[in-house]
Amino acid sequence: MTFSSPSTGTRRLADKWKRLHWGIITVLCWLAAIGVVMHLSVAGDAWNGQPLSHGTRFAVVLAVALMLAMIDLRFWLAIAYPLYAFSLLLLVAVDLIGAVHMGAQRWLDIGPLSLQPSEIMKIALVLALARYYHQLDARNSSRAISLIPPLLMIAAPTALVMKQPDLGTSLLLAGAGFGLMFLAGIRWRYIVIGALIAGAAGFWAYEFKLQDYQRDRIATFLDPEADPLGAGYHVAQSKIAIGSAGLLGQGYQKGSQSQLDFLPEKHTDFIFTMITEEFGLAGAFIVLGLFAALLTMTMMVAVRARTLFGRLASGGVAITLALYVFINTAMVIGLVPVVGIPLPLLSFGGTAMLTIMMGMALVLSVHVHRDYSPGSSGFLW
Amino acid sequence: MSAKRDLMSIFTRRSLIVMGAGGVGLAGIGVRLLWLQGEDAFNKEYTKAADSNRFDLQPIVPPRGVIYDRFGDALALASKDYRVSIVPEETENLEEAIRALGDLLGMAPETVARRIREAKNRRAFDEVLIKNNLEWPQFAAVNVRLPELKGVRAVVGEQRYYPYKEAFAHPVGYVQKASQGEIDRVEAADREAAGLPAKAQPGETFDSSHARYLRTPDVRIGKAGLEAQLENTLQGAPGWKQVEVNARGRVMNELAGIAEQPKPGDAVVLSIDAELQRTAMESLADESGAVVVMDIVTGEIIVMASAPGFDPNDFVNGINAAKFRELNGWDHKPLFHKAVTGTYSPGSTFKVSSAMAVLEAGIDPKQKLNCPGYFFYGGRAFHCWQKKGHGSIDLHDAVKHSCDVYFYQMSIRMGQQHMADVARQLGFGQKFDISLPSVSPGVVPDQAWWTSKRPKEPWPAGMTLNTVIGQGDVLASPLQLCVMAARIAARGRAVIPRLVIEGGKIPPPAPATLLPFPAAHFDYLHAAMFGVCNEPGGTATRWGELNLARDMSTGRVLDVKDAPPGSPRVRMAGKTGSAQVRSISAAERAGGVRMGESIAWVLRDNALFVCFAPTDAPRYACAVVVEHGEHGASAAAPVAHDVMRATLMRDPASRTAMKLARADKPEKPG
Repeated sequence: MTFSSPSTGTRRLADKWKRLHWGIITVLCWLAAIGVVMHLSVAGDAWNGQPLSHGTRFAVVLAVALMLAMIDLRFWLAIAYPLYAFSLLLLVAVDLIGAVHMGAQRWLDIGPLSLQPSEIMKIALVLALARYYHQLDARNSSRAISLIPPLLMIAAPTALVMKQPDLGTSLLLAGAGFGLMFLAGIRWRYIVIGALIAGAAGFWAYEFKLQDYQRDRIATFLDPEADPLGAGYHVAQSKIAIGSAGLLGQGYQKGSQSQLDFLPEKHTDFIFTMITEEFGLAGAFIVLGLFAALLTMTMMVAVRARTLFGRLASGGVAITLALYVFINTAMVIGLVPVVGIPLPLLSFGGTAMLTIMMGMALVLSVHVHRDYSPGSSGFLW
Repeated sequence: MSAKRDLMSIFTRRSLIVMGAGGVGLAGIGVRLLWLQGEDAFNKEYTKAADSNRFDLQPIVPPRGVIYDRFGDALALASKDYRVSIVPEETENLEEAIRALGDLLGMAPETVARRIREAKNRRAFDEVLIKNNLEWPQFAAVNVRLPELKGVRAVVGEQRYYPYKEAFAHPVGYVQKASQGEIDRVEAADREAAGLPAKAQPGETFDSSHARYLRTPDVRIGKAGLEAQLENTLQGAPGWKQVEVNARGRVMNELAGIAEQPKPGDAVVLSIDAELQRTAMESLADESGAVVVMDIVTGEIIVMASAPGFDPNDFVNGINAAKFRELNGWDHKPLFHKAVTGTYSPGSTFKVSSAMAVLEAGIDPKQKLNCPGYFFYGGRAFHCWQKKGHGSIDLHDAVKHSCDVYFYQMSIRMGQQHMADVARQLGFGQKFDISLPSVSPGVVPDQAWWTSKRPKEPWPAGMTLNTVIGQGDVLASPLQLCVMAARIAARGRAVIPRLVIEGGKIPPPAPATLLPFPAAHFDYLHAAMFGVCNEPGGTATRWGELNLARDMSTGRVLDVKDAPPGSPRVRMAGKTGSAQVRSISAAERAGGVRMGESIAWVLRDNALFVCFAPTDAPRYACAVVVEHGEHGASAAAPVAHDVMRATLMRDPASRTAMKLARADKPEKPG
């Protein structure tokens, strides 16, 4: 494979700046701003600390993302496999020498930096799969044999992350990977067969391989409210906060569940609960609306891109983002088990924000370079 | 499908599917949010749950009702309690702060170490009590240094205080913290009332407010005496204030409002005269015994003393184990209420009842019987206390000299049932409800009682002879002995003892019934008991002289010296008793009954005395028991003499007793 310049040539920077997707950037800023407001509510109007930190972090990451958006799409294509390989290596390293925080081995301590390779992998996997399908021609993509590399590419990091253990992230990786394969056009019959095999394997394992206590653990996991003082405490308190919110909420800084600490993790995983408690259904729907707009715009970027790589990369990021939002909100209202997935741009925490914003940088780059077309001069190879 | 699938258009189609799925997912979240709000609008379940998280009810402890003596002297009241406590999170170094306080207050190192442990085990914002019951100088010393002692609180609290200490320990009792067992019982009862299983289920929110109240650090409940028996009256009803708390229970806001005002406990007035009670305790001095004095007209108990006493104040904050062991292990039984719970063989004091039985049996009291010093019955010798015998003797002298043989012979003629019937009418075997726990009914042996105890065995013949002189199985409390004296003194009015004369939902006294004994019998007994104390040869003749006279112009009883010359003397009438606490073997008797220092204290006879005065117009009756005092005349009669003399001079019955103000509690119609 060789790289050659596209027919349009390298655009000038100012030109690219104009082509940025300002709709997406606006929504991102709104969400981050709401995050700052909620962290201010937790901190009792004290700027120093989390509100300021959340705001600055977003500003810095956004600046980086805008710069990355200027970089030619070929750069992303070029680093796809190396980045994936590197991430996988880091995951193995975490397994061997990683630091244990809060009962899970997820971090690599490199000097003052605490690195969470599973977060890099979220972007790396999307890039690598997009790269794989990009180079595959349509005939090959429909062959069963060509399903094997992407499945392995998904399975390896998912298994490593599951082992940490970080169920939430491994679900996210698997979900985004399979979603991307779906977008890439694998045949329905394989989807059906795959689903049947997975179901059968799960049933077989549950019935014949698991011990009773393991089954109990799964039952508690799936229905946390059966254990209201243990695993279900978070969800029970969250449901109380949301249920008692009403149309307009208890008011800024007046949510008793959040402000009196009945709601745990209110500034991280359960921030959606706090938004609902203080600003009611109205606040919750505004946040959901902003995410819906962000997802729609991201998918539209994918549809409008003219290269399969751009389409799949953007679509993969959209699916990742959708999974974040859906798992988090469904978790806080007790629809799915608590797996520790933050709400992008709102929850406090640097790693998740970095991951999402890098994904958005990729999407913005796809949008900036949307006119690259395949075939006209053998785009990208 | 064509061999060359158009991946671009597949992508577009599938991205629409993905967007649709995302839309459905988000819509699902939205519907769920709406659903939760709808649920809450319908049953307020979540709002209530949020409020019950957020608001906590904290009890407001009501002031406990004061217990007064008959003239308004407080026997149990709230007093200031100077205490010092510490809030761990406000200190710079908790251990050092507690040690510094310990030095300042002169606390023992073990206590300081215990306080440090306690403080470390509590939540950082909970106040931990370091020491209470401080003297003012100590408290002031802490107060002065408060600015440098970070986290230390010096507060003036309230706690139950018993100013008369030992003197009223038994009738009044004491309060203490509710035990875990008591709290558990209350909680179980509340759970049952709410229809819940006895054991708490995980995650349920039921909260017994009664149990929560009992767990409050300042709450005390009655554990002994009137404090325990009148708990509901004295306690009042707790108030509740709403406070806002966070998830760790820290109070965030006090101003959430008072949900319920506390209702103060009601005061009660006792019939006891604290002044005379103190006299009685002083008269008993180091002895182990009891004194009961009653007003024979109203049945009001003027004195109810049990010695030795103990300081109930030691119990209010939990008595230390060593002190409790000392009290509990002492053979003088200071924790035991001897006046109403203790029962004793009445010994010869029972002969008052037996003499009434003789008269009631229609036997001529002038008939003389011979006392050679012993009496053979059922193949066994029954001895008179007077070894050489009393010779020929009638009922009057048999009472006066306390002749056993006269009564042995009479008991056979009267029969056990007759004696028991008369004794019961005089108050023996009856349980009097005087608002105290553990009032003993005593024992009056008769056929029914024997059958219930030993259904197979015939009535033992000797039992009748033992009963008539108050030995064997007859048992009576000092209160019952006093009631007997009162009923004799009152010429057959069946006086019923009363202890609480106001408050405590005590029904008004029922008019006393008259015993069906002829007046002449009472005249006879009065004369005989007068003889015991005043005639030569009477067993208590030394103690009958009270040196009191009635000033006829005022009606007051005064010391002879202070009364106008020629004023009529005020005298008392009584009956002595000495009761064996063990059976004496024939061998021992042959060797001479050993007494005094030669035998262990706990084996010596109990000394008893019953009396009433003034003899011309009886008003007060008294019973005294001195455990192991050996002779009623030498150990019990002097106590009765002192107490009766003081009672007659003070004459509490003639003075107006305290009335509780009723203005705030209008009587409800109907």
